[in-house]
Amino acid sequence: MEDKTVISGGTALTDEEINSGKIFLTEDSLNCAYAWDAGVAIKHYLAELKKGKIIGKECKKCNRIMLPPRMFCELCFIPSGNWIYVKDTGIVNTFSICYVHWDASRIKPGEKPHLPAVIEIDGASPGMGIMHILGEVDPEKIKIGMKVKAVWKPEKDRTGSITDIKYFKPL
Amino acid sequence: MAILERITRNIDNCIWNPGVEAFPVKNKYTAGVAGQKFFEELKSNGKICGTTCEKCQTTYVPGRIYCEQCFSRLDKWVDVGTEGILFSYTKVYKNKDGSGKENPTLMAAVKIADGLIMHRLGETNLDKLAIGIKVKAVLKEKTDRTGSINDISHFAIV
Repeated sequence: MEDKTVISGGTALTDEEINSGKIFLTEDSLNCAYAWDAGVAIKHYLAELKKGKIIGKECKKCNRIMLPPRMFCELCFIPSGNWIYVKDTGIVNTFSICYVHWDASRIKPGEKPHLPAVIEIDGASPGMGIMHILGEVDPEKIKIGMKVKAVWKPEKDRTGSITDIKYFKPL
Repeated sequence: MAILERITRNIDNCIWNPGVEAFPVKNKYTAGVAGQKFFEELKSNGKICGTTCEKCQTTYVPGRIYCEQCFSRLDKWVDVGTEGILFSYTKVYKNKDGSGKENPTLMAAVKIADGLIMHRLGETNLDKLAIGIKVKAVLKEKTDRTGSINDISHFAIV
């Protein structure tokens, strides 16, 4: 008996064929727009950053001053208390000398490495810190415990974002 | 802030809005083997073509490469002409985004051979319409055709 089965394996198309316009197709894109609400505590924190100040929030039970501020203490499970201004100085809690960009591409020869660090801010409880970058510093000379100070953007350039602090420099 | 105190103006709050480009999800959907042939004929020759399954006595419009009844491979393309009969129609009052149309338009399902083509209807007078009347595809100028179903401008009453 003759086998009349025809196997169709699909049709491969090259980029050239697709881009030549000879292949009929429809193009579409999904609307994936979104906005992320910073929430009550972070909203206030960002608004204060715009003014050039860093604000935290205290827990009346464990007496911690939390930074970034949050609306409840995650250790005591109670609403947090007063807003407390903290300093814009601190110490390096941990740091990294980073030879790749955010998109994981390697930095070019001669380009300075990124220096992300966690800064424990003076006035907040020990261990309370923010993730930021270090600047005006030789990567070789960064030490854990080193005192640093925020370098702010000029007031007119601030947008209410963590990048309103340009970087932290050694004090 | 109490839980009942709703945030009514988002702009008052710090929101992170990366915009539409945050997730660039784009796609290209090809017409396929049969669609490619169908649109090529429409664009180059102004013809509406279908494929015939001789076993099932069915002519698919637009042409397919498989018979959906007997799964035979179809490679016999036939020019089915540009005339068909009005199979169904509806008056459209809204745009795709849900906004109101200034002038309602008519959409039709036109039966050509054994297939249906969904398209615009040029006629606006509902009294002239009846299911079963003959309609004809009005094609765009050859230079304006791009190989899309919009190469047919609309269907008009014969």
